[in-house]
Amino acid sequence: MIRSHFLNLVLFSGLVAVFFAFLTQNDSRSRARVILILGGSMVVLSLIVAYVMYPFPLP
Amino acid sequence: MSETVLDPAASAPRASVDPWIPCLLAWLAPGLGHAYLGRKGRGAVFFVVVLATLGLGISSDGAAALIDPHQPLTYLATFDNLAVGPLELLSRVATYGRIVYRLPEDEADPRHIELTDRLRKKVRSVTFEYGNTFLLTAGLMNILLILDAFDIATGRKD
Repeated sequence: MIRSHFLNLVLFSGLVAVFFAFLTQNDSRSRARVILILGGSMVVLSLIVAYVMYPFPLP
Repeated sequence: MSETVLDPAASAPRASVDPWIPCLLAWLAPGLGHAYLGRKGRGAVFFVVVLATLGLGISSDGAAALIDPHQPLTYLATFDNLAVGPLELLSRVATYGRIVYRLPEDEADPRHIELTDRLRKKVRSVTFEYGNTFLLTAGLMNILLILDAFDIATGRKD
């Protein structure tokens, strides 16, 4: 069992990115680009949303 | 190198293939439909990805959904679990200790009490939400794979 939120996030993003890369692209270069862009944006956007939500719930 | 370049025949639809066969194979084992259609490498990747997602869901204490007539969304969640195919039985046995799909309506029914107790044990786990997300995602991935296999078999997609 993986208890790290960040590791779960990275694993989930990676699996989803690889899945869609192979589903939608036919060549290795395009797949690598989709994995980087999709996986990276899932991780980065989640961290941004987490940072914005940090003050909530308000005291 | 492109998979299409490696195997040019793989990009052509198999004219004599009944499109429901790859769909059924894709449901039986993730990626098998693609392998049947000549996309063996892609099929192997899909199998590993969906299996890893399902495995992470089970190991993170995700719970297979049970149909509860009072909660209509449980029909959707159970359908999504079933979309993974026979591998879904692993998560069901890990959650409830046996293969069960429906929660008895009578709350006094000992089976209802036992199943909800087992579910509560999962819910108390800190990684329950992660596990559920992984399990549901594995189902959604396989639904897309089944539809993709259908599209390839009918020539709608290369």
